[in-house]
Amino acid sequence: MLLTIARDLTERRRADEQIKHVIADLSRSNEELQLFAYIASHDLQEPLRMVANYMELLARRYQEQLDERANKYITYAVDGATRMQEMIEALLTYSRVGIQGKPLEPVELEKVLEAVLQNLRITISEANAEITFGALPVAMADRGQLIQLFQNLIANALKFHGEEAPNVHIAAELEGAEWQIAVSDNGIGIDTRHAERIFVMFQRLHSRRDYPGTGIGLAICKKIVERHGGRIWVETRSGKGSTFYFTLPTGGDKTV
Amino acid sequence: MNTSTSAKPIEILLVEDNPGDLDLMLEALDENKLFINLTVATDGEEAMDVLYHQGKHLNDPIPDLILLDLNLPKKDGREVLAEIKAHEILRRIPVVVFTTSSAESDILKAYDLNANCYITKPVGLQQFLEVVKSINNFWLTVVKLPRVD
Repeated sequence: MLLTIARDLTERRRADEQIKHVIADLSRSNEELQLFAYIASHDLQEPLRMVANYMELLARRYQEQLDERANKYITYAVDGATRMQEMIEALLTYSRVGIQGKPLEPVELEKVLEAVLQNLRITISEANAEITFGALPVAMADRGQLIQLFQNLIANALKFHGEEAPNVHIAAELEGAEWQIAVSDNGIGIDTRHAERIFVMFQRLHSRRDYPGTGIGLAICKKIVERHGGRIWVETRSGKGSTFYFTLPTGGDKTV
Repeated sequence: MNTSTSAKPIEILLVEDNPGDLDLMLEALDENKLFINLTVATDGEEAMDVLYHQGKHLNDPIPDLILLDLNLPKKDGREVLAEIKAHEILRRIPVVVFTTSSAESDILKAYDLNANCYITKPVGLQQFLEVVKSINNFWLTVVKLPRVD
């Protein structure tokens, strides 16, 4: 009997040690990855600036001496460099979610939305959009990142609008120990086959001509939600609008 | 731009290791038509040689303004900045940090070391020219610079 208990304890201790090792390994590789993205994107900017600037300088100084085809090639090169620059910026923003995140504290979601609507006011009025929200709770969150999260989701709803003026509604519901937030729109919706893919970095479902952008927005949303210990998903049908759901920790207060 | 009769050029020390950026800077300054005398140092040690009149820089003038890149060979831009700002006289010279980095940590560090301003090199040519133009407008025409002898 005693022997069995002793053996159990030794095994448990060994298992605990192993878990500690795995956690240490994971957080180390995670830190390395974040650092990699951060450093790579800074060091990549320098040569890219050279390509973009000298292509433009070439066009500026020698346009007259070059034929139409040469000028077209320059346009392609500048366009490529500009896009790469945008992607690097996006990568930086993405890596900052992990590196520059603030500790979670009680945040009033209504205040967050007010800030977002203020930031987006020009886009909203240009799109003739109506944005409404029900009673919203206090959640444990990083305020700056929540602004970024709502802003990306609402801006997407406005960008991928249908024939009618965009209509976006935000609602919160208590699901167990978490808040479930829904951002619904009446936009073009997404083919359900792509419902997972849209959260992957640089994944785009449309041509850049129809909808410009790098395809980082939802990847950043996912990273922010996961940093808060939540999940994000979409319920949608092509042509029928989309509802993006995500969960946030309640932090004790469960009143809406 | 300099309206005084005994027009003396404005002395600028550019600390820049990337020849591409150096040429861009020359292009940009050229478009501004200011009366500038540019001294170039391609690493941090050479920058200090210019400021201390050492080595091959015995007769170089003390600059009115320093444009400083951060990532430099030999002596890093941050070390150069720290050394300038710790020096009794040299610390009066405005230092404009002009670098690729937009990292929060680099910005804070530069201001902690008393940089006079921090500018991230923009990507597009037009933006680059604009930025150099506004550096010139502000630091060389609007601002009253100290006399440093």
